[in-house]
Amino acid sequence: MLSALSKLYKNTLFRLSLLGAVFFVVALFLALGNVYRLTISSEIRQVDKSLAAEVEEFQTLLDVGGLIPVSREIFLRSGSGDRHYLLTSKNQNGEDMVMGSLGEQIVTLKNQERTVIGEVGDADFTKVDFILVIPATDSEPAKERRMRGLSGYLQIDGKNVAAVVASRDVEVTMRTAERVKNAIFSSSAIALFLGLISSWYVSRKFTQRVEAFNRLATDVRAGHLDRRAPRNYSEDEMDLLAEHLNEMLDHIDRLMKAMRYAGDSIAHDLRSPLTRLRTRLETAATEIKDPQAEDTLFAAADDADELLKTFDSVLRIARLEAGERREMLSELNPKPILDDIAELYEPACEDVGLTFTSEIRDGHIISADRGLMSQAVSNLVENAIKYTPKGGAIHLSLLKNKEGRSEISIVDNGPGIPEGSRQRVKERFVRLDDSRSLPGSGLGLALVDAIADLHRAVFSLEDGMRHAATGRPGLAARLTFPRVRKVKSHASTATTKAS
Amino acid sequence: MRILVVEDDDIAAEYVRKGLMEAGHVVDLAPDGELGLEMARAADYDALVLDRMLPKRDGLSVLEEMRKDGDATPVLILSALGEVDQKVEGLRAGGDDYLAKPYSFTELLARVEAIGRRSDPTAAVTKLKCADLEMDLLARTVRRAGKNILLQPREFRLLECLMRNAGRVVTRTMLLEKVWDYHFDPQTNVIDVHISRLRGKIDKEFDEPLLHTVRGAGYRLQV
Repeated sequence: MLSALSKLYKNTLFRLSLLGAVFFVVALFLALGNVYRLTISSEIRQVDKSLAAEVEEFQTLLDVGGLIPVSREIFLRSGSGDRHYLLTSKNQNGEDMVMGSLGEQIVTLKNQERTVIGEVGDADFTKVDFILVIPATDSEPAKERRMRGLSGYLQIDGKNVAAVVASRDVEVTMRTAERVKNAIFSSSAIALFLGLISSWYVSRKFTQRVEAFNRLATDVRAGHLDRRAPRNYSEDEMDLLAEHLNEMLDHIDRLMKAMRYAGDSIAHDLRSPLTRLRTRLETAATEIKDPQAEDTLFAAADDADELLKTFDSVLRIARLEAGERREMLSELNPKPILDDIAELYEPACEDVGLTFTSEIRDGHIISADRGLMSQAVSNLVENAIKYTPKGGAIHLSLLKNKEGRSEISIVDNGPGIPEGSRQRVKERFVRLDDSRSLPGSGLGLALVDAIADLHRAVFSLEDGMRHAATGRPGLAARLTFPRVRKVKSHASTATTKAS
Repeated sequence: MRILVVEDDDIAAEYVRKGLMEAGHVVDLAPDGELGLEMARAADYDALVLDRMLPKRDGLSVLEEMRKDGDATPVLILSALGEVDQKVEGLRAGGDDYLAKPYSFTELLARVEAIGRRSDPTAAVTKLKCADLEMDLLARTVRRAGKNILLQPREFRLLECLMRNAGRVVTRTMLLEKVWDYHFDPQTNVIDVHISRLRGKIDKEFDEPLLHTVRGAGYRLQV
């Protein structure tokens, strides 16, 4: 579930449309907030304003006629409609005098039962929200009304003479406000939910089309240059992308064919004269009676051979890299291939004073081509033979590695390859300085690399067996094969290609 | 043997002709595919050397046409297209052997003689003999001068290949292809090592060596 979500979140289009949905919800929220501000808030402000005007009126009355007109006014206005008041002061005898409708009823402030008087500030008038509890009568149950009030002291000559609270019943407005708030939140939530759903839907639709492109890219990478992107001719951007991709693939296909043709032509054109050269040298060598000249001619013929072999290897690597022969791979047990190699090279190793051992286990299945596999392993064994000094050891093994993958290793206790050069030696014509004195074209490991790549195997070079006496690190060349996947598409791919 | 060489490269064709004639064969030349097919139909050859890339009609189509006619003349396909898959293609079209350019003439000669012999009715033998060396293909035994020689399975196949071509040169590449089924050339002298082991078993204790190295070519089993 969590991984499905994280996968969904990785989808670009899902993220984009989700972002769009979030923006929309925020905009909706702001717009509704504005509606709230323009209606409910302005109504509350209106109440505040009229309260302020009223309190000012009381102050004016006090200034003109003292407390009597104020208390009369409060008495008259109290309880009419939605108005409620409270006036407390001391009479001439110093007794507390309370007037107004708020005095008789229970007033709740912030859920605590207290008098509003407590909230009367010392200095300026303060706004105060409270709940007025109207006790139950015979006909009606007790009622709670939300109130908006303004409280403070009326003053004469800077001296507090009476505390006053003027308030309005704002229950109706507050209820409307609640409903509006609920509407804002619920509609935002619905919008967000719909946004999520549509993001998921859109991304799913889109992903299906993108998947088609991904499959195409994988196929093309695997060497199937005849594949094309599916089109629906709607001329939307995806369709145009498909069209452009297909044009690009056509172009690449043409170039590849041209290159192959050029390669074949060069092969043909160069090989024929070189063959003649070789034949002439060989014929001359067998006919000549002078043994010294014969040696020279044979050596020249060998040089021509070397040249042609290099040329062959380059062409072969190029073809392998193009993935042309990938459809020739089949599932096979590599043991017989390695047994053959071991049998072929064991005497050769003994001959040059190397110990050859092998551990070739059964029960492996890899997707491979016998000829190419043999060539890769043979190249690696020959490399080991070439570089390991007399008295050294070479070990060939086929084992399952820690991840359960089939791994072919050729390990020696020769000079090894410094870590920094291990990637470089896999490139064409790269030879390390120490090996320049030995024969070779610098294509052996490049060929192994190309073969490994074709098999989707990993070709790695590591330290091998440490030679105890000299401290040579040795070299371990490994080919790690992917597990054989039971994927039908591969088989169908091969058939399409064949037809 | 009477051999038809279909090759558009005059110089190469002339060299092949000269070499084959020196080896005691009768050689006809055809410069293009059309003429090659015509000549192959007109006369009865013991073997054909057919270039793959030819003017007018390519080698494979000539070969396919011949096989369609029921002509079973052994054919050695010769081409610059040396990749294994193309080799397979050539053999599937009815070729008996495939040789990639550049080839050494000795290689070509060895292969032409080998396929020429293959059509020989005596090819389906169960016993091979070369001087006092005898091989029983059914019992898988080898004897020399009445003495049993124990060979490893691979050594047996190596010797079999040499004995089937007794008196003729067998190249290292041919041995790699026929005994090991490898279509690439190793850089080292692996074959030589195996030959020297075989030599140790069949020649060492005997007066006359049978297994000879032919310089610049390969090996020959001969008295």
